[in-house]
Amino acid sequence: MGTSAALSPLLARPDIWRGDQFASAPLPVLPSGFADLDAALPGGGWPRGALTEILLDGSGVGEISLLLPALQTLRAGGGWTLLVAPPFPLHAPAWLAAGIDLARLVIVSPARADEALWAAEQALASHAPGAVLAWAPRADARAVRRLQVAAAGSMAAAFLFRPASARSEASAAPLRLALAATAQGELEVELLKRRGPPLAAPLRLALRRPAKVISRESPREYDAPLAGSGPALRLQPQPLSA
Amino acid sequence: MPPAGLLLEVGGCLRLFGGRKRLVQQVRAGLRDQGLEQGASLALAPTPQGALWLGQGAARLSSSGGAAIAMTVSACFDLPQLHQALDALPVAALALPPKVAQRLEGFGLVTLGQTRRLPLAELTRRLGPPAMALIARAYGELPDPRPEFVFPLQFAQSIELPAPSDKADALLFAARRLTAALAGWLALRQSVMAECRLILAHRPTPQNPPATELVLGFASATRDPQRLERVLRERLQRLPLPAPVESLRLEATRIEATADSSGNLFDAGDGSGAAGEAMAALIERLQARLGAAQVQGLAPVADHRPECATAAKALSAATGVATAFQPDPAAKPRPFWLLAHPLPVANRDGRPSLGGPLSLLAGPERIESGWWDGGQAHSAAPADLRRDYFIAQTADHRWAWIFRDLKPPGGWFLHGWFA
Repeated sequence: MGTSAALSPLLARPDIWRGDQFASAPLPVLPSGFADLDAALPGGGWPRGALTEILLDGSGVGEISLLLPALQTLRAGGGWTLLVAPPFPLHAPAWLAAGIDLARLVIVSPARADEALWAAEQALASHAPGAVLAWAPRADARAVRRLQVAAAGSMAAAFLFRPASARSEASAAPLRLALAATAQGELEVELLKRRGPPLAAPLRLALRRPAKVISRESPREYDAPLAGSGPALRLQPQPLSA
Repeated sequence: MPPAGLLLEVGGCLRLFGGRKRLVQQVRAGLRDQGLEQGASLALAPTPQGALWLGQGAARLSSSGGAAIAMTVSACFDLPQLHQALDALPVAALALPPKVAQRLEGFGLVTLGQTRRLPLAELTRRLGPPAMALIARAYGELPDPRPEFVFPLQFAQSIELPAPSDKADALLFAARRLTAALAGWLALRQSVMAECRLILAHRPTPQNPPATELVLGFASATRDPQRLERVLRERLQRLPLPAPVESLRLEATRIEATADSSGNLFDAGDGSGAAGEAMAALIERLQARLGAAQVQGLAPVADHRPECATAAKALSAATGVATAFQPDPAAKPRPFWLLAHPLPVANRDGRPSLGGPLSLLAGPERIESGWWDGGQAHSAAPADLRRDYFIAQTADHRWAWIFRDLKPPGGWFLHGWFA
């Protein structure tokens, strides 16, 4: 079915998106620092002025490492980063070693979940920070919509962390990803929703991990570390004497 | 002016007040009106220090005499008269530095005149040049310039509400006139304000205080009425009021001079410009609602104990404080998240297990520290810790930082996540 002549100028408008192509308007983005991911993201990076929803279960998957290159880019421009209701206290030496400017890092740790959403909304609406990372395990669709509206006017990169159980819920965020760690130490990024055609297979990103992964074929070397055959690990299990 | 004194330079305004006698009468009347008559003594002298000492001497006489002398006036109109009057003053009556007074008493000197008769060089050696200069100034032998008294900047303005109200919006509307007045007042004086106080007065009842006070602090000194209003709105909305408010009073309690008198045309890019301003306003707004302790910065601390390596930093100025702490490029990896309290990890057949066996990928890294401060400095961290840290992967491949406690009773603990 061809497009009629009257319709084509309308379809050329930048704010009309057709399901089979990336949005054509140049979007303000923050490069993610991962070439594979940038290629899969509309505009070639994390969207600014739009909410990005990141779904994962637990911590330690690599969720911060995924955002680090973008946060470092932000630092070069003198932007502030705001963390709202992080799941655990931050360990300052790690953030410093990762190249985060601690002088421009603000941590908001409200006592209640609704206060966290309020704080994230205020931060986005103020247009002040360059990036807002918010953790909201119990945010509902209405709260996500509010955040998206607040983010829409700003130039901030907005990231909302939610549990993987939110995957099936409707969400106003234009970009949604699900994260999982792999046995090989990579980060599996599944693009659940983006402005563009759906991505068939999840991406596998090589993150900087704190240690090398032991191949899964020999998972027992911890039990027999001194035999000399396994990898050169200096692990010496000692029965704990109470 | 110790102990309590007021120095007036009157030489230049005698004609205006109609001569010395009239002026003294006016000053006495003023003191009487303010209830300061009792114990006050007036002294006129050609030198400020001389006048002060004469006044102190007279106050001493009147208090030791016991008689209720209404107000003494000692007056000397030229230097010879002053010298004569000062010579007769007892040293004990003067507010001299304690050490000097003690020395003079030790020498057996009772009056200033006796002191002055001693050889100058000897006396200087014993009393020190500052005390000698003080005496010389009193006698008019050294010039004695005094700094002028400058009144501190103060702003206080009240407004009566047309009808008592306890609605935050109505109060905010009324307060807008005060905040606008304050902003204009600050702009005129090229000043900014770091703290102000709003006093909400209500009808006094036996069980209620007559007024509720609201102290507004600012992350960076400002005179922006909108910022003031935003903070005020947050606070007013959550302020419990015991009774409807009848009048408002705004006082600026901390006023600072500012260097720049006009807005920046271009953002300087170092946080001092528009982005820094907006950020300071945001921090203020969050702190006003959530509390200052809930909105904080982060600073590294050079301590081997992971628990002690992070300090919360108060966010006050728009530009954060640059830390001198440099990360060691050869440092061992550290997790982004550090649990507030290490979480005990199950031990299955000698292996740590967190919802499935943990595979240890790197380690051990021995951290043994803190024996010196006995747990005093950081309540969160144990003193004298001895731990072997490992980087481990959970059954679902997440990256954990765990340790084995080497101190009895031992055991495995989860301490952080490499996020």
